[in-house]
Amino acid sequence: MTARAAPAPLPPATTVGLQGWLRQNLFGSWGNSVVTVVVAVVLAWFLVNLGSWVLVEADWTVIISRAPLYIVGLYPYEGYWRLCVCLLLISVLLGMSWRAWPGPARRFAFAFGAVMLFVGVFPHEMAPEHRALLLLNLPFIGLGYVLTPRPAEAHSGRLEAMAGGALPPALERVAIFSTPRRMVIAAFVALVLIMILILGIAGVPGLDPVNPQDLGGLMINLLLAFFGIVCSLPIGIGLALGRRSSLPILKVACVIFIEVIRGVPLITLLFMSRHILPLTFPEELNIDRVYLAGITITIFSSAYMAENVRGGMAAVQTGQTEAAQALGLRGWQTTLLITLPQGLRNIIPAIVGQFISLFKDTSLVYFIGMLDLVEMGRVSVQGNQEFIDNGREVYLFIALVFWVFCFSMSFISRRIEGALGVGRR
Amino acid sequence: MAESNGVQAAVDIPADKAEILARPLEERDDIVVCENVHKWFGDFCAVRDVSMRVKRGEVVVIFGPSGSGKSTFIRMINRLEEHQQGRIVIDGIEMTNDVRNLDAIRREVGMVFQQFNLFPHITVLGNITLAPQRVRHLPRSDAEALAMRLLERVGIPEQAQKYPAELSGGQQQRVAIARALAMQPQIMLFDEPTSALDPEMIKEVLDAMRELAATGMTMLCVTHEMGFAREVADRMAFFDEGALVELGPPDQIFNNPQEDRTKLFLDQIL
Ligand SMILES: Nc1ncnc2c1ncn2[C@@H]1O[C@H](COP(=O)(O)OP(=O)(O)OP(=O)(O)O)[C@@H](O)[C@H]1O
Ligand SMILES: [Mg+2]
Repeated sequence: MTARAAPAPLPPATTVGLQGWLRQNLFGSWGNSVVTVVVAVVLAWFLVNLGSWVLVEADWTVIISRAPLYIVGLYPYEGYWRLCVCLLLISVLLGMSWRAWPGPARRFAFAFGAVMLFVGVFPHEMAPEHRALLLLNLPFIGLGYVLTPRPAEAHSGRLEAMAGGALPPALERVAIFSTPRRMVIAAFVALVLIMILILGIAGVPGLDPVNPQDLGGLMINLLLAFFGIVCSLPIGIGLALGRRSSLPILKVACVIFIEVIRGVPLITLLFMSRHILPLTFPEELNIDRVYLAGITITIFSSAYMAENVRGGMAAVQTGQTEAAQALGLRGWQTTLLITLPQGLRNIIPAIVGQFISLFKDTSLVYFIGMLDLVEMGRVSVQGNQEFIDNGREVYLFIALVFWVFCFSMSFISRRIEGALGVGRR
Repeated sequence: MAESNGVQAAVDIPADKAEILARPLEERDDIVVCENVHKWFGDFCAVRDVSMRVKRGEVVVIFGPSGSGKSTFIRMINRLEEHQQGRIVIDGIEMTNDVRNLDAIRREVGMVFQQFNLFPHITVLGNITLAPQRVRHLPRSDAEALAMRLLERVGIPEQAQKYPAELSGGQQQRVAIARALAMQPQIMLFDEPTSALDPEMIKEVLDAMRELAATGMTMLCVTHEMGFAREVADRMAFFDEGALVELGPPDQIFNNPQEDRTKLFLDQIL
């Protein structure tokens, strides 16, 4: 018989449980209690009013009946299937990331699949083939997952049981996304295919070119933000390296570029791109405003990206460069192999943050006549006698869409931060 | 090719060098020559008028109070710090602003830091193979074979695929030693290699250094591990206020210091 230790004393009841939490956090003092009550009353009043309007008074038919406008703008109906195929490609990439990087990517893949499932089965007008294509996203996520082998670390023999776990050997053999390099290539190929599918190619049956100005709705916001970030990353890295360089002319040129762009609001740049730049270009060079907007947003974003990259590289400890020097690496080798990779790792959360703010900023393109989500909302209300009174519903819906995207991205960013162990050496 | 021989093969000792190492210390050539070396940070003189000659295969332990210029001194030997007056010659190569000389010297000299300074974004194997591949242009397979031999030598071959953050401090420092050895240097610098370690890990690092000294590596170690110094050092150098105060065999330093400052300092730390 072993003697039992005396039971550990329990904490006082006033500090534990719901009661304890309430007491400590909301009603800790007189002032605290007053604030709690006032805020609760205001919040309740607000929520009751909003809730009764949302559920009773509001008329949501405009959202349902104009949904395609909000999502893809004036994109031709015959091409919808192409957009659905783009979603399938994204699903494969998501499945791949889920397998390779289970922590941060899994929920994202789940959420994407859930949205597709919801839209696919929601009872509204939609062609059955589009429904089918949307529902296909679920198996396609699985496909991406299967085509990717166990996480890279698992190959070393450690963390064998981690995350995805092992697949049957037959499946392991078809795993084609087996190295980071292949994954990057797969992502790149998918992005090119997506661009081809969206814009079409002249002369290929089924892929009739789409007038870029018909791209619109949420799609154009996402496309501009995404390609803005992706293209601004290499430019931003170049600018940051230029700013760190010891060649005075290069350095000054980069500093001027970065500071000028950062000192001008995006809307001004967009306006200049639309109305001033064409004056300085030859007439024949008639760039579509969609591309102009894309280029402008990329330039805008790369100035901020350059500062992020610079900050990330500056945060790399000097011991790292000293160790590289002591090993005989040249200056540029040290930058490319040691400082830059660590700097980029440091700023992944900052890049997601920049993506979020760029995504919101893309709503400014309506200024140069593009049909983004906000502009489609305005058009659907003001251009239509039937819905002229539904502005509130439409803008609330648009706000919700932006919020859902931004919130989920910042959520993912926090997961990435955790997975990377930012601040850990 | 016997496995037991891999250890020796990891640090090639060319025949002529082996012949030199067979001689007693006094008859060997000077691999490090410092003459009247000075270093200032702004107006502050961190190293003043240090002259020291180190024989090939010699182990010199450098010690002294904090801020006495020990780190600055050994960092000048691979030019992490630039000396501003005096002369430094490493294995016959004059330390100048000439990039070719600098490259040659960095190839001769390996360094191990107090904070390990492993590259956190690449695996242990990647840390060790990086410089051999990029600087010595070894093919990847050769670099990896070399890395594995060195990891075996420091006793942690099973950690090759891990990332530095997944290793204990002692293991990280042994990887850092292997990383420096992978460049097959003639001289190894150690700047307080055990100061950031928990006591139970100090021994494993000191053992690796002992083993290295036994193979005839020229070593300059800043350390306050006096047991290690007594056992391994050929000579000890006491620094104070930027100057080399006393240089002599451990026996002299411990039992019969010639300078009062040396005696005073040893009394404080022993
Ligand atoms: N980069 C620098 N800029 C200015 N002063 C410096 C710099 N590096 C070192 N010093 C100064 O030079 C002196 C010698 O420093 P050093 O690091 O060589 O001392 P140390 O003997 O290694 O000391 P410790 O035992 O604390 O490591 C110190 O007073 C330090 O403050
Ligand atoms: Mg020091």
